[in-house]
Amino acid sequence: MDIKKSLVEMCNIPGPAGFEEKVALHVKELFEKYMDDTWIDVLGNVIGVRKSKKENAKKLLFDAHIDEIGLIVIGMEEGFLKFAPLGGLDARVIPASGVTIMTEPPIYGIISVLPPHILKDEDVEKNIKIEDMFIDIGLSQEEAEKIIKPGTPGVLSRNVKEFGENKLCGSSIDDRVGVIAILQALELLKDKELDVDLYVMASVQEEVGVRGATTGAYSIAPDYCIVVDVDHAKTPDAKKHEANTKLDDGAIITRGPNMNTSFTDKILSIAQENDIKHQISVIASGSAYNNVRSIQISREGVITAVIGVPMKYMHTTNEVVSLDDINSIAQLLSKTALSKL
Amino acid sequence: MQKIRGNSSHEAMTDWREIMIETMKELCALRGVSGNEDEVRDYIVSCTKPHANEVIVDVMGNVIAFKKGAKSPKERLVLCAHMDEVGVIITGYSDDGYLIFAGAGSVDDRVILGKTVIIGKEKVLGIIGCKATHLLSAKERETPTKKEDMYIDIGVNSKEEAKKLVALGDTGAFDEDIREFGDGFIKAKAIDDRFGCAVLLELIKTDLPIDCLFAFTVQEEVGLRGAYTAAYHTAPDIALIVEGTTAADFPSSPGVKKVCKVGGGAVIPFMDGGTIYNKEICKKLTSIADENNIPWQTKTYIAGATDGAVFQRTRSGIKTAGIAAPIRNLHSPSCVGKYSDMEAVYNLILLFLEEC
Repeated sequence: MDIKKSLVEMCNIPGPAGFEEKVALHVKELFEKYMDDTWIDVLGNVIGVRKSKKENAKKLLFDAHIDEIGLIVIGMEEGFLKFAPLGGLDARVIPASGVTIMTEPPIYGIISVLPPHILKDEDVEKNIKIEDMFIDIGLSQEEAEKIIKPGTPGVLSRNVKEFGENKLCGSSIDDRVGVIAILQALELLKDKELDVDLYVMASVQEEVGVRGATTGAYSIAPDYCIVVDVDHAKTPDAKKHEANTKLDDGAIITRGPNMNTSFTDKILSIAQENDIKHQISVIASGSAYNNVRSIQISREGVITAVIGVPMKYMHTTNEVVSLDDINSIAQLLSKTALSKL
Repeated sequence: MQKIRGNSSHEAMTDWREIMIETMKELCALRGVSGNEDEVRDYIVSCTKPHANEVIVDVMGNVIAFKKGAKSPKERLVLCAHMDEVGVIITGYSDDGYLIFAGAGSVDDRVILGKTVIIGKEKVLGIIGCKATHLLSAKERETPTKKEDMYIDIGVNSKEEAKKLVALGDTGAFDEDIREFGDGFIKAKAIDDRFGCAVLLELIKTDLPIDCLFAFTVQEEVGLRGAYTAAYHTAPDIALIVEGTTAADFPSSPGVKKVCKVGGGAVIPFMDGGTIYNKEICKKLTSIADENNIPWQTKTYIAGATDGAVFQRTRSGIKTAGIAAPIRNLHSPSCVGKYSDMEAVYNLILLFLEEC
């Protein structure tokens, strides 16, 4: 699999939380190449299974989410669209950004804010709130009302491109990169026999509160689950306790109460034994940002682990990831699936 | 190119629009942050040479062109547009290979975080980085990050690697795509003032009613610096400054603070932060617009300055007026303008020249 090409292709499909249908169909097709059976469930999660020949095999699940942060139109004033966030849209970075409103055909717009010279001095010193922004679509109120209805979703403009050495930057890489790492692991496992029933899930609505994973985990009822999601890599403005992992330093093995200790130890030793580049991060709270927080307490409980993809500038239009890190994660996932759990 | 009036045929207008769109797209794609206007200058020189009687580049880097018209006017006239754009200038490196920068020209801190820039001759892609929203404290979330606290990530890990790719003093231009959208709108970086350049380039291709001088100036955004030598050299009686000007016509802007409206036609300011414009020329422009049904408006907020401030006070004084297109999100990576306004500016200038 050409990781770079596949990631760019997947990122080019708009799929904000709650509106992932197109991404889901794309991912379903990719899963079908490797899985015995693939389906889309009630909430929209794409789930695939590859059965082991072993009887009463344990179930191992790899999860990554396919939704991205986005926006939803709530109304219009003088032809400009007003909008609310879908997920953790970062108000600091979206002014003057292009957006695609998901009408058929899509409509292009620019997030506009009042220029500094007409603001009161005290307002210049404050960040702009999303409720005070507009989307300029270059249409009159009458025209806008005709073609866009409240409830229409939108995403930040796609522009995933190469950055530095062996890196990519762009929007929606969180968490399409996780799905790509899982696909690459499936590629590595292609002709290998497994002692586990391997499930994969491309889950929806993570960005609005891990909703897809909640029902997906219930229906799969896995014994083990590895969540693959992005994690903060160090940037110059982050304090030491905020981000201590680095881009290009490999798979992030995450420790903390959301992750089962012995399963995490096992993954760590697999990384060490196989010389897979890795680093450790800690999520101290009992409520990790990602799907693990719901999967861990699904039904009678799931033995969970989180493998993080180091990412800089998460939830901006220029999220950065390293292709080398994706490879490390894919190797670690495949070796774990092959190991005796 | 065919001369076009306010009430021209639809067909001719469509042709004009297509030519204008192409020129604007080419000009806005070029990188010309103040002090490093080379790409824009080369383009302008190559476009003006086939049509002008004389083209020179002065010491500052301004392009000055002369084209003979049907007659010589009583008063010598220069049309002026600036070719530089706002961006960033690199002022330092961090030990781990990030770039420290300042604004080149006035750039709103609130619109650049998370955006990309293209830096220096090597065209290095850089991201104006910031830690993720998840990691912000309540106070950090409320307060805009200042440029001095931002950094540019060029994907390297050390100062040594960064030095190989980017030199101190290199400038970076915003890296945004150019899009047409809505009802005849364009979004691009640097519409201020590639729009003015595009109008001048179209005029210079036209059979002009009078002799005209064209000044494409540098370093406007860092203090109208090119205009000093361009005004001195051309020594005109009349200067017409063709610009992009701030429009804040958003639903929540109160009354006069909308400044001017995109789609409202050519902007003829009576005054801005740098110039009280020549009353006689302004009156002539507005009368011509009225007589020919060319939509026009004035600015209802006094802010900013143009090359006009320098032209007006050069040598023994120059009669100076401005004519502008209203532009939203000026000085951001995503300026927004409307073709109908640009047409109004072009048509009005052409008619004005006929009456000189």
